[in-house]
This record gives sequence, C-alpha cells and structure tokens, in this order.
Amino acid sequence: MSHAEVWVIAAAAVFGIGLYSLLIASHLLRQLIAIKVMGSAIFLVLVVAAGPIDGALDGLPKALVLTGIVIAISAIAFALALLVRLAEVTGSTSLEDEADDDR
Amino acid sequence: MSLAIDLLIATGLVVLAWQALVGGSLFRGIVMFIVFGLTMALAWARLGSPDLAMAEAAIGAGVTGALLMIAYWRLRALGANRPAPRSPLRARVALGVGLLSAVLVAMIGLAAVGAIGPGGEAGQALAEALPATGLGNPITGVLVIFRNLDTLLEVAVLLAAYVASRAVMGDDKAALPLPPAQDAPLVGALVAVLAPLAVLVAIYLLKAGSQLPGGAFQAGAVLAAGGVLLMLAGRLHPAPLCGVGLRIALVAGTVVFSGVGLIMLALGQPLLAIPGTWAVYLIETAMMISIGATLVLLFAGSAGLTGTPRR
Amino acid sequence: MNALEGLAALLLVAGSSFFLAGTVGLLRFPDALSRLHALTKADNVGLLLICSGLGVLAGSLQTAGMLLLVWLLAMLAATVSAHLIAGRALADDTPELPGEQDDTP
Repeated sequence: MSHAEVWVIAAAAVFGIGLYSLLIASHLLRQLIAIKVMGSAIFLVLVVAAGPIDGALDGLPKALVLTGIVIAISAIAFALALLVRLAEVTGSTSLEDEADDDR
Repeated sequence: MSLAIDLLIATGLVVLAWQALVGGSLFRGIVMFIVFGLTMALAWARLGSPDLAMAEAAIGAGVTGALLMIAYWRLRALGANRPAPRSPLRARVALGVGLLSAVLVAMIGLAAVGAIGPGGEAGQALAEALPATGLGNPITGVLVIFRNLDTLLEVAVLLAAYVASRAVMGDDKAALPLPPAQDAPLVGALVAVLAPLAVLVAIYLLKAGSQLPGGAFQAGAVLAAGGVLLMLAGRLHPAPLCGVGLRIALVAGTVVFSGVGLIMLALGQPLLAIPGTWAVYLIETAMMISIGATLVLLFAGSAGLTGTPRR
Repeated sequence: MNALEGLAALLLVAGSSFFLAGTVGLLRFPDALSRLHALTKADNVGLLLICSGLGVLAGSLQTAGMLLLVWLLAMLAATVSAHLIAGRALADDTPELPGEQDDTP
C-alpha cells in the first residue's frame, strides 16, 4: 500500500463516519461537527490526489484547502449562531418535528 | 518506517472521528473533535504542508473548538431540550449510506491519485511564475497574487458570517452570555505572558508567510486566540455596540485588498493586480487584523468589545 | 549513527516513555486530581526530554533555544490549566470530568 492510498482510504472512512453520524445524530451541534469532519476528509483527498507528497509543485490544492478551512469556520460560526438562536426561540436543539414518528 | 507513521496517524484520524461523532456525550465529542483537528494538523505536516498544519491547528482545531465549546455552554445555560435518539431502523439505513459513501470517496480518491501526474500542469506553471513575485511561499503566492479574487471573497465571507450572526441575534439582545471569567491568580499571570506573545507570534507568522510557511490566516487565528484568552480571563468584555476602531478592523482586509485592486485598475492595470511585495505585506496585514477581529467577535457573540465591563 | 544521534535517540525514547506513563496514569487513575498529577509531571518531563533530543538533532543553538521556549510555554500553559481543572474538581468534589455526567445523544 502506498502513502497516498493510506491517506485516501483513511479519508474515505472518516467521510463515511461523518455521513453516518450526520444521519443518526439528532442534536444539531453533533451534526455540525459531522459536517466539519466530512469537510476535513475531502480536504485530505484533494491534497493527496494532487500529486507528489514532498514535491514543491503542489501549492495550488494546498492554497485551495487553506481557503476551504477559513470558509468552513465562517459557515460553522454562522450555523452556531443560528443554533443558539433556535434554542432561545424554540427551546429545542434539533430540527426534528416533535410529532415525527421517526423518534 | 515512514509508511508506519502515516498508517498510525491515518488510523488515529479514523478512530478519533468515530469517537467525536458516534456515542459518548456531546461534551466528549467536542473534545474528541479538537483532538481530531490536531491530528489532522499532524497529517498535513506528514503530507509536506506546514502551512495547512498551522491553519488546521489554529483555525480548524483551536478556534472552531472554542466556538463549539462556547455554543455548547450557551445551549446548556439555556436549558435547551435534548433531542431523543433516532430509531434503530434509521441507524441501519444510515450505516448503509455511510459505508456506501466511504466506498465512493475511496474509489474517487484512488482514481484521482493515479490520474494526476506529478505536480500537474497548473502546479508546474505556479513553480515557474513564483520567482517573479519575490515570494518564496507558493501558497501565499496563490492566495495573494494568482488567485486573489478568491482570497478577497474569502475574507468577505468571514465578514458576512459576522454580519449574518448579528442579524439572527434579534433586536432585543446586545450580546450572548459568556461564562463567568476565571479569577484565579494564575490566570492573570498566564494572560499577561500569552497575550503579548500572541501578537508577537502573529506578526512573525505574517512576516514569515512570504517566504516560509505562515501567512495572514494563521496569524489572524493566533490573534483571535489571544483575544479569546483575554475574554475568558475577564480582561475583554462583550459590548453592545461596535466601536469605530473595531469596525475599521473588521473591514480592513476587504477594503485594503479591494482598494489596492481598484487603484491598479484605475492606473490601467488588470483588476486586482498586485504592484509589489510591499502590497502583499499591506494586504496580508489588513487581512490578519480583520480575521482576528472577526473570529473574536464570533466567539464573543456580541456586536463589539470593551476593556471595561458593563455594570 | 554517530554519538550525537545516539544521544538524541536516547532522549527521544526516554521522553516518549514519560508520555506513555503519563497517559497510562490519565486512563487508569480514578479521580481528577490524581489524573492531573500523572499528566502534569510526566508530560512536562517527557516534553523536556523530547525537546532536548530534537535540539541535539537540530545541531543549531538557535533551534535549540526555540525548542526550549516551546517547552517553557507549554509548562506555563500546563501549570495554569492544571490549576484551573484542580480548582474546579475541588469545587465540584466530583470524580468525573465536567460535562461528562449526562448528555445528549
């Protein structure tokens, strides 16, 4: 197994765990963490797929991922503000309908 | 040997993701998420990207962790309802979907690893064009010179996140609650050392960022960490209004970046052409101040900041 | 491997074993205070040994000095955070970590 394959497979597993958690968690804070973790997995795939691991030539995907990290925290910060406001207004930390037979 | 280290860190990432997301209390999940972020930083270091390692540790683990923790504290303080767990059927479906998506990501990733040659054409072009800019760090080169419209909009998105967070707060409230400040005697001593050090490290990262790993985003996150520390130690308090100085700090990055770009346009250059290394420093300094100020305010959950608490 | 590398390897292995001991203590000890005891002491010594090992490997006084600063900073932060956690543990008189008791799924 090559270095790149190790990282890609780990990233895929992390992505799968993230999506699984996003679907089963009912607390919005946990779902937000799941989305962030899935994003990290994709960043990992992007950088690893771009080419040589110790070459100096792969500045582009790294810059792209650096941008992605900052955009991710912007989105998380706004989502957390929405979540706190939701809890203030409705007293709930979930988007599930109370009468949903799913619970 | 080096493959063994990669395997260890990669396995650690998977285990930590599981610990952060599945089972355990939410508090434990947040702590595990922070550890996951730090392990991601190790992964970036292993992948030869110290820039990303620093950004991940400072922003992805540090500031995101602080934001999650403060939101967790606020939700507890509100006494918000805890949602009921999902049904077993849903869990089984989710397991299938998760497995399927993991296989899909692995297939796409493995195909991409084989498909793209070393560096790629764009990476080659970047390596050839970089010396002309006077910058030694290709990532700073991409962010500030070659792909600067993206970076400008990125700073604008962060500003928009602050404005949007203020907008959802409602008119009746000036600030979200913060936990009571720690008044233990050692905290004051720690803050007295760490706050100036945060400024020093931020300026170093900014200056080093032109040639070495570092840059405005890492520096801004370090500044923000200093601000969060001051707030937790009770030296900095949320304020109902955003003062003029803070407003300037919030928009400095967007204004200076687009200002330089527009002036160059007026001088007959292409939009957002960067006239020289001094302009890179100017833009990065403004971005660092904006990023730091915005992240601290997002943590504070208030419009502004003040040194003296409201009585 | 020359003598310097041997010394560095020795320091690194010794440092890692302190970390291992500290982590075992963190996992095995029953309450917050004894866990802190295991962590703060063992990890600070471990970090010092690892920083020394890396300093020997770096072979430059400047890098070694920076590593020393890293250690001092980590000590400072560890001291204060251990102090805060201990204070909280004493105030709560609870063996568990804060937030660990009951929580959301």
